[in-house]
Amino acid sequence: MKVAVSTRHSDYDAIVIGSGAGGGVAAAVLAEAGKSVLLLERGRDLSFEAVGRDHLRNQRMAVYGHNAGPDIDGNPRTLEADSFPIPVGEALGDLRLLRPHEPGYQNNAACVGSGTRVYAGQAWRFMPQDFRMASEYGVPEGSSLADWPIGYEDLLPYYEKVEWEIGICGDHRTMTHLPTYDKPYPMPALPLPHKSGIHKRGLEQLGWQWLRVPRLINSMPYNDRPGCINCQQCVGFACPADAKNGSHNTTVPRALRSGNCTLRAEVMAERLACSAGGRVIGVTIIDAAGQRQTLTADVVVLSCGAVETARLLLNSATLQEPSGIGNGGNQVGRNLQGHYYPGAAGLFPDVMFDGVGPGCSIATCQFNHGNDGIIGGGFLGDEDIVTPVTMWKRFYPPDAPRWGIEAKRFMRDNYRRINDVTGPVQEIPSPQARVSVNPKVKDKYGIPVVHLSGATHPETVRTAQFMHERAKEWLRASGAIKVWGRPPPRYLSGGQHQAGSCRMGEDPAISVVDPFCRVHSHDNLFIADGSPHVTNGGFNPVETIMALAWRTTENIVAKW
Amino acid sequence: MFDSQQLKCLRALLDVIIPEDDFPGAWEAGVGDYLRRQLAGDLAKLLPAYQTWLANLDDEARAVYGADFAGINPQQQAALLSRIEQGAVEAVWQIEPAPFFREIVEHCAEGYYSDPGNGGNRDGVAWRMIGFEVSG
Ligand SMILES: Cc1cc2nc3c(=O)[nH]c(=O)nc-3n(C[C@H](O)[C@H](O)[C@H](O)COP(=O)(O)OP(=O)(O)OC[C@H]3O[C@@H](n4cnc5c(N)ncnc54)[C@H](O)[C@@H]3O)c2cc1C
Repeated sequence: MKVAVSTRHSDYDAIVIGSGAGGGVAAAVLAEAGKSVLLLERGRDLSFEAVGRDHLRNQRMAVYGHNAGPDIDGNPRTLEADSFPIPVGEALGDLRLLRPHEPGYQNNAACVGSGTRVYAGQAWRFMPQDFRMASEYGVPEGSSLADWPIGYEDLLPYYEKVEWEIGICGDHRTMTHLPTYDKPYPMPALPLPHKSGIHKRGLEQLGWQWLRVPRLINSMPYNDRPGCINCQQCVGFACPADAKNGSHNTTVPRALRSGNCTLRAEVMAERLACSAGGRVIGVTIIDAAGQRQTLTADVVVLSCGAVETARLLLNSATLQEPSGIGNGGNQVGRNLQGHYYPGAAGLFPDVMFDGVGPGCSIATCQFNHGNDGIIGGGFLGDEDIVTPVTMWKRFYPPDAPRWGIEAKRFMRDNYRRINDVTGPVQEIPSPQARVSVNPKVKDKYGIPVVHLSGATHPETVRTAQFMHERAKEWLRASGAIKVWGRPPPRYLSGGQHQAGSCRMGEDPAISVVDPFCRVHSHDNLFIADGSPHVTNGGFNPVETIMALAWRTTENIVAKW
Repeated sequence: MFDSQQLKCLRALLDVIIPEDDFPGAWEAGVGDYLRRQLAGDLAKLLPAYQTWLANLDDEARAVYGADFAGINPQQQAALLSRIEQGAVEAVWQIEPAPFFREIVEHCAEGYYSDPGNGGNRDGVAWRMIGFEVSG
């Protein structure tokens, strides 16, 4: 494959749409290779203060709003009512009309850096088996489970780049579920909180593997920024020390420092611009003032996140591709997946809390694979420090008093004694779990919104039940005197770990992009975000998204 | 937003939900401010329900104890709320008593335990009580 360079002059060599995990990497690699790059982002460039410390309105606890976008007004989506177990949002005929912070919307974030601005930065490589799930387990009925067209070895050099260049701390010697690391992490793991030591002993007692959770956080000064100050408000918030490594302080500044990249925030890509022949020539944008403009480029990289990348393709129909760009096989938007997050909470006899953040430090990969009668699995880890109101809403025992002096005493005596363990389940994809567009509902720009339908495959729910039981076992082994929690019901999953909507494959009939993430029907249109993931591992996805984006973009540059 | 009778009732109610001990009760910790802010903002739609529920709570106290809610003693207040929680009421309610009580409890906890920037948890007093330390 060769990227054909158009003969007429374009505004930019490349336009990257979306400045999150994948888009940041794409912009940096292209710009450092000397390409002129326009990086577009619909959200704002948020300061630490703008993200704030609102415990009821953040990306982790979005009761009344959130802090990393999109704005809760003007960005609705619609949801099939049976895609979610309880009524969410407002009724719109038979559908539900959702605002971005409401359950079921499948939000990650919208700002410079997207989710990486406020994430926990758990940094996981997928396991070799995660790239060949169909071969390992067979394909359950009703599922679109498939192997990736690439394997662990293909991503390995890029995992190492992410670890060293974006900055990951951890202890490679504990990653015994993976092939031996040739290169250690560039920084040692964060200090072990008291409670994580107790959970580690629980795992040892069970004879389950344990490891130190790798994180995209500076555990010491690195890349000209300071080390973590172990504060208590990490996940869902911005870092007060600038020690958390996201696109906003790593790849995007790298792209800008090259002198070849222009970042434009608060600009919405409305649709891809195409020639009369249906070839992508750029993108039509709408800026904050409502001005519409078409900008041209030789190469366009979509990094809008799995939901919005599918939406943009579907909203860019041409004469040649009347059902949306790349959608000849009717695959764009299908196989949406994220991570079920089963777990359990427990009450401990002694104080677990020592205030050492971020918190999630110990995990086990004992159950990612090889579970009798279960397809895949996931890891289980201890938890980042839980804010008091999050404890009240998510981890408070269901039978404890909720009001009166007993409830006040219960919080007072036990906030520091309650701990949960949890982790992502490798979801079994369903072609019915789907992003499409709803032409009847428009966002504040007048663009048809995302319509969500279907639900995860029932096998996902079964794995989640299995992992929920393991979570309870672990808590008991760690000394919990009481454990509680419920396994999740079936619903449509995507959210912060969204992936899979433009799957990668050799065959255009059952995939959207080729093994280098080029949209099959196009020579100059690429995807660099979670959309191409064929399956999403039993791990938080961001290190894989970054590594895959790196590989994709290096290949664009190599073939230019 | 609330007339003086409703405000009196609300204050008494919040202080039964989170009473004072060696740490302040809900009202002193600012939960009333949290609620008033929310009912003028994100929870504006619930204001009429709050007004009705509070009026009905007074009706209930009068029906059972012959005085409004703020006028009965704390034991009576707690006993009344326990019965309301079970849906066992004497007065005629214009709103389902039990489910909305659970919502009020939830709002009260939000005000008490979330960040002081939301109007409750004055000076982080609830966080000091439970031992949630904040550095950085
Ligand atoms: C609170 C929180 C905690 C998390 N913790 C972890 C963790 O510990 N580990 C982990 O692996 N992952 C974590 N994640 C998830 C992680 O952030 C995502 O996996 C990752 O950001 C996805 O990368 P992406 O490139 O696919 O899309 P994104 O990073 O979401 O980037 C997409 C960007 O494109 C922009 N965009 C979309 N459409 C348009 C358009 N039409 N025009 C212009 N711009 C557009 C969006 O505004 C957004 O900024 C967390 C997320 C959150 C919110």
